[in-house]
Amino acid sequence: MARIALIIGALAAVLYPIPLQIQGTTYYQTVGFLVFVNAMLGLGWNVIGGWAGQFDFGPQVFFAVGAYTAALLYVKLGVDAWLGLPIAAAVAALICAVLTYPLTRLRGHYFAISTVAIWMIAQPIGATWEYIGAAQGLFIPVKPRSNVVSAALSLQFAGPTKALGYYYAALALFALTLGLMAWVERSKLGFYFRAIRDDQEAAEGIGIDSRLYKVIARSITAAVFGAAGVLYAFWALSVFPEQVLELNWSTLPIMATVVGGIGRLWGPVLGAVILIPISQIMSTTLGTGPLAGRGIDLIVYGLIIVVIAAFRPTGLLSLPWARWFGRRRSALA
Amino acid sequence: MTALLSVEASTKRFGGLLANRDVSLTMDPGEIVGLIGPNGAGKTTLFNCISGYMHPDTGRIVFDGRDITHTRPERICHAGVARTWQVVRAFGRMSALENVVCGALQRTNRIAEARARARELLEFTELRGKDDMPAATLTLADKKRLEIARALATRPKLLLLDEAMSGLTPMETAAAVRLVRRIHAELKVTICVVEHVMEVVMPLSHRVVVLDYGVKIADGTPDAIVRDEQVIRAYLGERHAAR
Repeated sequence: MARIALIIGALAAVLYPIPLQIQGTTYYQTVGFLVFVNAMLGLGWNVIGGWAGQFDFGPQVFFAVGAYTAALLYVKLGVDAWLGLPIAAAVAALICAVLTYPLTRLRGHYFAISTVAIWMIAQPIGATWEYIGAAQGLFIPVKPRSNVVSAALSLQFAGPTKALGYYYAALALFALTLGLMAWVERSKLGFYFRAIRDDQEAAEGIGIDSRLYKVIARSITAAVFGAAGVLYAFWALSVFPEQVLELNWSTLPIMATVVGGIGRLWGPVLGAVILIPISQIMSTTLGTGPLAGRGIDLIVYGLIIVVIAAFRPTGLLSLPWARWFGRRRSALA
Repeated sequence: MTALLSVEASTKRFGGLLANRDVSLTMDPGEIVGLIGPNGAGKTTLFNCISGYMHPDTGRIVFDGRDITHTRPERICHAGVARTWQVVRAFGRMSALENVVCGALQRTNRIAEARARARELLEFTELRGKDDMPAATLTLADKKRLEIARALATRPKLLLLDEAMSGLTPMETAAAVRLVRRIHAELKVTICVVEHVMEVVMPLSHRVVVLDYGVKIADGTPDAIVRDEQVIRAYLGERHAAR
């Protein structure tokens, strides 16, 4: 049952932009791009927030680190995006490890506040550091590409296939993240993260170094955010502080994770698939016309989230899907 | 025979309260030691110091030839000390099997191997058939067994049981005593039990250590302990002493 759902989902994800491409409505391809970027971020946040149970409200710092690293590598050294991407992810993870180690002395609300504090410190640094372009940021020049293959290899799509190209790039990175997270969940790391979440003292008593594993968890989160930052930078063709350090880069994935099912592998995926299109549809329907500019779309969007959170605080994935749709227990749950 | 554990003049102070004062004791390999004393006598504080959750202000703790006075809990576990908790601390949202797998991963990185070991230990602690139940949904008696299974999964040389039998029905208590005996006999683990229930400690322990107001007041065989003046005074009050 779960396997069938997975195959249908994968097919839908691959085929989705093709009719849109023929039709010429690239907007919905971009919505798909945003769904996968946010699903990927949610998968990343789920490691520290869901499995390790540490509320991190500042992962957007590492989104920015990734975006800046890849942009700098490209602008200053001519390093292509795909090569820059693993470097950027590694840099994000490394910086995160150094910043997070002292924070792991803190617990609960204090840990959460400290992650916000680091984000607040990052903003003036991003806005004033000349080397990374300060408030103006960095622009990523588009080099003319002869064909689709070279565009794909350099992660620089342009023209009528731009939205399509970035859609598939996001899908590929999302799929890679999903695969890695599925492995993490079943590995020693996954067990140790959840042990720390459920009871830190008891975890230490059976030999788990809680500080070390919290640092590892958040660094995995940071690597995913860093990689997504690279994708976003090459999509937006620019990196500037207000854009990559925007709070939405953490709130949207966190909301998606909570709505879908926190601490479950597929939770952030389901959440992103539901929430991101709703927010886009709301802003294109309620956000335009006579009601434009009054924030009605945001109010309705917020209400939808509140309703889901109130009726199913453990997330939509925790609903008894297996009882409704199949005899065997769903692998999704 | 060299002692497996030796606590040397351990003192732990919380503000004005002396929780442990100059407490010294040894545990030899293969012993079952009962640690008793009235409420607030400092038994759990001593456990916390041995297992690394607290560090003595003065004094020294040596385990298996290593000074562990200021070692962190996870390193002490690695050295071979495992403990359970007075108030159970199971990983509530994980299944019973996963709880024990977490312990087994201390000695292996292979999940399959850890699972196999965890299944054996659930069997050993008579929790078979409850593998997939979330730990939070188990009964108190089962949670206590699960904690023991999880602790055993780390392959300890010394097992510290903090009131593993309190809050259990007489039948559950009898089963728990049998389990402790089997751990001692079959797994060759040295065991220290903190317990309130005298009927449990006395027949189970080879030796009993008594704490009162943070001070060790007696250390000897169960037979000697029940006749000890100071122990009777601590438990029953001045009036009953020296009868």
